[in-house]
Amino acid sequence: MTERYARQLNLPHWTPETQQHLAAARVLVVGAGGLGSAVLPYLVAAGIGLTGIVEDDRVDLTNLQRQVLYDTQDIGVPKAEAASRRLAALNPDVEIRSHRTRLEPGNAAAILAGYDLVVDCTDNSAARELLNRTCLNLEKPWIHAAVSEYFGQVTTLLPGGPCWQCLSGTGAPADPPPAGILGPVAGLIGSVQATEALKQLTGTGRLLVERLLVWDALLPGWAEFSYRRNPDCWACGRG
Amino acid sequence: MQVELQLFATLRKYAPDQPLDKGLVMNVEPPLTVSILLEKAGVPLDKVKIIMVNNRHAGFDQELAAGDRVAAFPPVAGG
Repeated sequence: MTERYARQLNLPHWTPETQQHLAAARVLVVGAGGLGSAVLPYLVAAGIGLTGIVEDDRVDLTNLQRQVLYDTQDIGVPKAEAASRRLAALNPDVEIRSHRTRLEPGNAAAILAGYDLVVDCTDNSAARELLNRTCLNLEKPWIHAAVSEYFGQVTTLLPGGPCWQCLSGTGAPADPPPAGILGPVAGLIGSVQATEALKQLTGTGRLLVERLLVWDALLPGWAEFSYRRNPDCWACGRG
Repeated sequence: MQVELQLFATLRKYAPDQPLDKGLVMNVEPPLTVSILLEKAGVPLDKVKIIMVNNRHAGFDQELAAGDRVAAFPPVAGG
C-alpha cells in the first residue's frame, strides 16, 4: 500500500494517517461523463476507500472525444459498468460501487446518505438542484462543476456556507441546448474537482469555498469570483 | 462613464468583437445598472445566469460606478 501512494506520502502535510483517512473515506461521483472521466480515476488512484458512481447512461461513440474513461470497445456498455471495470484495474485495493440509476427525488437521499462527500459531474440543472437540496438536508459537502465549449467553472460547497442556489439564483434561464465541449476543458475542470475532493477529505490547504473559479480556454486564463450566502435564498435561506 | 463588460462562454456570441484578453469597454451615461448595461450591449437578460461586479456576486439591479468591471455568465450545464 505504501509503495502505491509513495508520491502522495512524500507531499508536505501528507502522513500515513492522511492516507488512512482517505482509505476510510466514501465519495460519491454523480455522473460519469467528461468531468467524471477525470474525477473518478484520480480519486480511485489516490486511494479513496469507497468511490460510488451514479450513472444510468451507456457509452456512445460521441462520448469518446472527452470521456476518456471509456474505450471504443465499451460502446453500448453501461457507463457505470465500464467505469467500474476500468477503475478496479487502476486500483484493486479500493472499493468501487455502481449505482446504475439516475439521481431522482425518490432515491437521492438514500444514495447520498452512504457517502461523506459528493462530486457533481452531472450535465443538467435539474440534477444540480436535486443535489443541492439533498446535500443541504443531509449536511453533505459537495463540489460543483460545469463545462461548456471552452469554458468551465468549479466551486466547493460546505454545510453552513452558501449553497448552489445562492450562486445560481440570479435569473432562471432554462438549460441551454447541448453545446460543444472541448475534451481537455472537461478534464481540466474535473481535475480541479478531484483536487478539491482530496483537499477537503484530508484537510489540506484552502478550499474553493465562497469562490467560483472559472477557466476560459480561449484567453486562456483563470478567474476567481467571490459569492456569499444569500439570506433570501429559497433553498437555504428565508426563501 | 466607462465600465467594462466581460462575457463568458456562450454569451460571447453577443459581442463578437470582445477582445480575448479583456472585456468590452463601454461608455455609458449614469445612472447605470447591470441590466441596463447588458441591454445596451445587446445581451438578452434571459440568457444570463450569474453576474459578478468587480469579482463579487451581484444582481441585475446593482448600480454601477465608473471603472466597474462586470462579468456575465450563461447557465453552464455540461458535465
